[in-house]
Amino acid sequence: MDDTRMTRKQFAAAILVSLLSPLLRLLPQTAVSLTGRGAWLSALPALVPPLVLGAILASFQRYMRPGEGMGGLLLRWLGPVIGRAVLAVYAAWFLFYGGFILRSGAERLVSTIYPSSGQNLFVVATIFLCLTVALGQLGAAARTAVLMRAVLIGALAVVLILSAPNMDPDRLSPLGWNDTGHILLGALPLASVVTVAGAFSFLSGYVQPPKDRRWLLGTMFLLTVLGAAICAAVVCVFGPELTSTLTYPFFIMIRSISLGDMVPRIEAVVITAWVGADFLLCTMLLRCAHEAIRTIFHLPVPDRFPMGSLRGGRWLLWLEAAAVFGCSLFFDLPPWQLRQWSDWYIPLASDIVLFGGFALLWLVTIPKRKKDPVCTENGGSQ
Amino acid sequence: MRRSLLILYVSLPLLLLSGCGFSLSADRHDAERLLLIQTMGLDSDGDRVRMSVSTGLGPDDKPALVMSARGGGIEDAIANLQDLSPENQLFYAHVQYLLLGQEAARTMLNDVIQWVDRSPTLRMDTDMLIVKGLAADAVVDTSDENTDVTARLASLDRQASSTGWTIYTLREIAAELSQGDGALCLAVETAKAENAVFTEDMQSDAIVPAGYAALGRDGLVAFLTPEQSMGAELLTGDPTGLLINVADSTMEVLDGSARIDGTLSPDGRPEAISVQCTLRTGVLEKLRRDSRLSPEQLDAALSETVAGWVTDCVETAQKTGCDFLGLKNAVLRSSKTLDRWGEDWNELLPTLSVTVSVEARVDRSYDLAE
Repeated sequence: MDDTRMTRKQFAAAILVSLLSPLLRLLPQTAVSLTGRGAWLSALPALVPPLVLGAILASFQRYMRPGEGMGGLLLRWLGPVIGRAVLAVYAAWFLFYGGFILRSGAERLVSTIYPSSGQNLFVVATIFLCLTVALGQLGAAARTAVLMRAVLIGALAVVLILSAPNMDPDRLSPLGWNDTGHILLGALPLASVVTVAGAFSFLSGYVQPPKDRRWLLGTMFLLTVLGAAICAAVVCVFGPELTSTLTYPFFIMIRSISLGDMVPRIEAVVITAWVGADFLLCTMLLRCAHEAIRTIFHLPVPDRFPMGSLRGGRWLLWLEAAAVFGCSLFFDLPPWQLRQWSDWYIPLASDIVLFGGFALLWLVTIPKRKKDPVCTENGGSQ
Repeated sequence: MRRSLLILYVSLPLLLLSGCGFSLSADRHDAERLLLIQTMGLDSDGDRVRMSVSTGLGPDDKPALVMSARGGGIEDAIANLQDLSPENQLFYAHVQYLLLGQEAARTMLNDVIQWVDRSPTLRMDTDMLIVKGLAADAVVDTSDENTDVTARLASLDRQASSTGWTIYTLREIAAELSQGDGALCLAVETAKAENAVFTEDMQSDAIVPAGYAALGRDGLVAFLTPEQSMGAELLTGDPTGLLINVADSTMEVLDGSARIDGTLSPDGRPEAISVQCTLRTGVLEKLRRDSRLSPEQLDAALSETVAGWVTDCVETAQKTGCDFLGLKNAVLRSSKTLDRWGEDWNELLPTLSVTVSVEARVDRSYDLAE
């Protein structure tokens, strides 16, 4: 097996773990404040945009050559000028988003566990770890994601099971037809989270064939189910109105969990474990940005060089990490402003860049798709 | 060499971010210096807040440390409390009981909920009780060398679960307040137990249940009488274990439930609430040996008495305009016409007529027909 590449399952784990970070940032509070008690039902309409995006990405993927990601395909189809401009926009977005993830993760950790500590301590520590992993082979990060997936999903399951005694299913009802509009509106945050998976198409050149699409759809479906389960559990514990006013309802719910008298509190372990999701998403965004920049400058694949090497444009990874850190400084805002960014501006921008952008590119490249041969799994063309 | 560097690289964050000993984190706590607070009492004293705390009995029955301090706000009072114990760090992560004095419950309930939400240490699932009078009295006056407020509240907690009263957590109260504009909270009072025989070393006051307090969105609305509280328990909680004195008999509620429905007028407007309760009790004791009530008469007397309590309780909710019984949500769940009931509930509630019916059955009535 080629160690520089990932299997589909490892890539799916990387996407799932990475997206658990925005999932708990936007859910349940933002979804519940838009929807109310029916937030858990929002998972159904929330599946539609990711399925559309999944179909678009699958359509692009058919034309990708072996080892080629979204960056290479766009440069090939859009030409050197427009293609490079589009890739530059995506690279800038990934770095900006990475900076936001760093800051919001640090803010969550500080406000829930370490109130006397400064956020920059966690931001610096996380970006340092992200850079270390990004300098290594992407396959290693994906294999780590497989372990982290087991830890985080396990932690989530434990939290939901141990919170069950505090749940009152009556809080999920009553629901009537007049709630339909709210439920559709509440699908937006969940859909925004899942469509972030689109960013990972820049790394699809590192995935071993065959290019089966079911794993991507399965990951999106699982994320949506997890989102619905989290919303339902938190609403059952706090009720919809209180959920929408609490600072971090899911983590406040964890704070109330005890494992008997022996372990009266477990929230520090669970919340800190969630830093793993921030760390992986930030690492992946760093590599996505590097893929876009590497494609612009026709640089070699970074995984072919030793970890400490600066050859082949690997010094750019240091610069990109510095850019992510710089962007995180931009988000050194009062908590209420950071929440506005988190709830509105970032999801909206993410939807525009990833969903809207790919949809637009799909439309623009229809003529190219008619001319370009479809690539087969073994690298041939039809 | 590379492996050693890797181990050092991985170990450094563990050493510096662990929160123990030499640490970069400002949140480190030395376990030896922590004083674990188990009960907090909050009082509103005009513009100032009074915070009273108890650590609970220490190992080897070491007496509890009880302190009280005032401040401009909750955090200020906590800082002043810390000044009283400079050698130790007061630690609030293990608080089990939160007592609110009645004035604090009236004026700063929402402040307390928001404070706990923002606090990285306190839990929303802390049991909350409202003290008739000052919480400081309940914390300070109930402690002596042998016991303290935490032990007394733990005892009350155990009794409450067997006698039918419900101690609600701050989370449950906050959820009910935000969902239905009202909530119930168990009220307590300190009392010199007049009929108790004290030994010399039992000099502190007892804490006894005093029915429920009705809470509205802005704070305490009213204290319910014990009878109204029993009606409220039947409507909202699990009344199993409640002791009821009816017609010279003491009965224990074995189980009970309530169904609340809304009725629309012919033109489709909300008109009435009907409450149907079922109750099964068992006779524990005949208070008068010459009592001659038949079991049927006892059933009827019980139904009538409980119906009176429930009616009184619902009427209190209507008079105060505070839906502490969760009537709105109960009606919405049972109604198929949600849009008729969902709006302007606070204006609607006082105008609705209420019909209460209780179907009661008395068990263990073997010798009543003699």
